[in-house]
Amino acid sequence: MVIESYVFLILVAFAVLSSIGSLITKDNFYSALYMALTLLTIAALYALTNLQEVFVLIAFIFVGAIGIVTVALAAVYKFRPSSQLSKLWIIPSAITALVLSYVFYNNASYIVESGKIDMATTGGYIVLISALVSLMVLLMLSVISISRGD
Amino acid sequence: MIDVATSLIASVIILMVGYTMAISSKDLIRLLISLELMFGAVFLALMPIFSIESLIAESFVLAIITIFTSSSELLILIGTIVKLDKVKKDITTDSISVGGDVL
Repeated sequence: MVIESYVFLILVAFAVLSSIGSLITKDNFYSALYMALTLLTIAALYALTNLQEVFVLIAFIFVGAIGIVTVALAAVYKFRPSSQLSKLWIIPSAITALVLSYVFYNNASYIVESGKIDMATTGGYIVLISALVSLMVLLMLSVISISRGD
Repeated sequence: MIDVATSLIASVIILMVGYTMAISSKDLIRLLISLELMFGAVFLALMPIFSIESLIAESFVLAIITIFTSSSELLILIGTIVKLDKVKKDITTDSISVGGDVL
């Protein structure tokens, strides 16, 4: 397995973990930040597969406009944090995700002919994507630090 | 080269996280966040289409339409949240009644 595939898997894991973080956090503001991080990671996945046009659209229009407005709204309507996670719905959601994941895993080659996606192969480009993702994480950490008043 | 199953599985997981968040949300901000997560899952699910060479142009059109349509829907929801706050001074899901009727 080449390094691009590892970077892809790390980014996918990052997107899934940040979406779970968005679900389990009590504060809407942090939830919105995690959501923006998830979407930016998905945009980074497009950049990694050499689809810069879609990356620009997601990063600038979806996250840049809608995502930032959501973060601003979440910061304005900041209530006393209370848990908004219904434990009752976790089990059916997890079962559905497991079944669908199993189906996709076994039938991916039927969905597209080759079952593979070409990736950006230039080493410098991978470094650039990794640097941008690191920058996003640093930006998020600094926003959290500012909001806490540290 | 990466397996399309990876992106589809991640897409399913993010979609189910979004569904769970939407079902258990107590205020409209959390509902907005869950919708954005679900649209993120849709963007991730679009990725395998780009691996079919004969459908590259159509894939770009599909991606552009998806991004602009979802952005418009979310902008409408943001406008609705602001309007609801002006009218009812409350953005919890309990304060919303069917068709605007007073219960």
